[in-house]
Amino acid sequence: MIEFDPAVIEAIINISAYVAAGLAMIAGLGPGVGMGYAAGQATEAVRRQPEARGPIITTMLLGQVVSASTSIYSLIVALYFVFAIS
Amino acid sequence: MLEPGPQELYYFMGNESLPITDTLIVSWILLILLVLVSRWITSNMSLKPGKAQNIAELIVSTIEDQIEDMLPGEGRNLLPFIATIFVYIGFSNLVVLLPGVPSPSTDLNLTLGLAAVVFMVSHYYGMKEKGILGYAKGFAEPVIFMLPINVVSELAKPISHSFRLFGNMVGASIILGLIYMAAPWMIPVPLHAWFDLFVGVIQAFIYGMIAIVYISVAKD
Repeated sequence: MIEFDPAVIEAIINISAYVAAGLAMIAGLGPGVGMGYAAGQATEAVRRQPEARGPIITTMLLGQVVSASTSIYSLIVALYFVFAIS
Repeated sequence: MLEPGPQELYYFMGNESLPITDTLIVSWILLILLVLVSRWITSNMSLKPGKAQNIAELIVSTIEDQIEDMLPGEGRNLLPFIATIFVYIGFSNLVVLLPGVPSPSTDLNLTLGLAAVVFMVSHYYGMKEKGILGYAKGFAEPVIFMLPINVVSELAKPISHSFRLFGNMVGASIILGLIYMAAPWMIPVPLHAWFDLFVGVIQAFIYGMIAIVYISVAKD
């Protein structure tokens, strides 16, 4: 059994917290794709029906915001790793 | 070192478990200012509106139309609640444009508190619409085994509602803090326009919209 210095253990915890924060933000990929797809579809809908622009934009924003919440969760997990653990 | 979120400044009557944070002070000042300004705008209204009355009428009628779109017939009822949320969150997002003032919405206590109020109001409207027993039966709707899943998804609503605003505003403040460390001159100006003006107003609008959506979901 190897005995580690407490400073070494603290350094290992810090390093793994920062790496975990970086890994947690990979979750930003999916919502980005989804929000872009929603914006593209909304653009197409506005092109087909320019008079329904207001309701289309409202619906698009609502859907985008709901799909963005997963990336917000990952951001909060990353913030927790950076500021609370390390 | 960059420190997001509320900073503890004083303690309430020297009690360590009751800290007074800077976001708390800013939010109280903002509340008092909003009440005073609204009183001042509506104190002498006229048929030929001035500038301030015009802006206030625009905000009120836009919000009322938005509610009428999603909840027909409830515009007048819900207007004070939703408009208060919108105006308060909007100004607490915009207050970061003053240098050195932290935004109250980077404090989870504010967003989670407002989300809890929205949660209770939506359940109140659901119970008023269908009666307490009928509303409780709605949770076991397709089959009885769905009951725990429905309850959990209902409890997840205020969490996602509050964390969305909190995460957006804290993320913006962290990115701006990093930019200020790297390039303090000129470069942060367009980023302030994006993160504070655009994202702040959109998030306040979305916060109110989601509140309307939750109430309309609970109603039917």
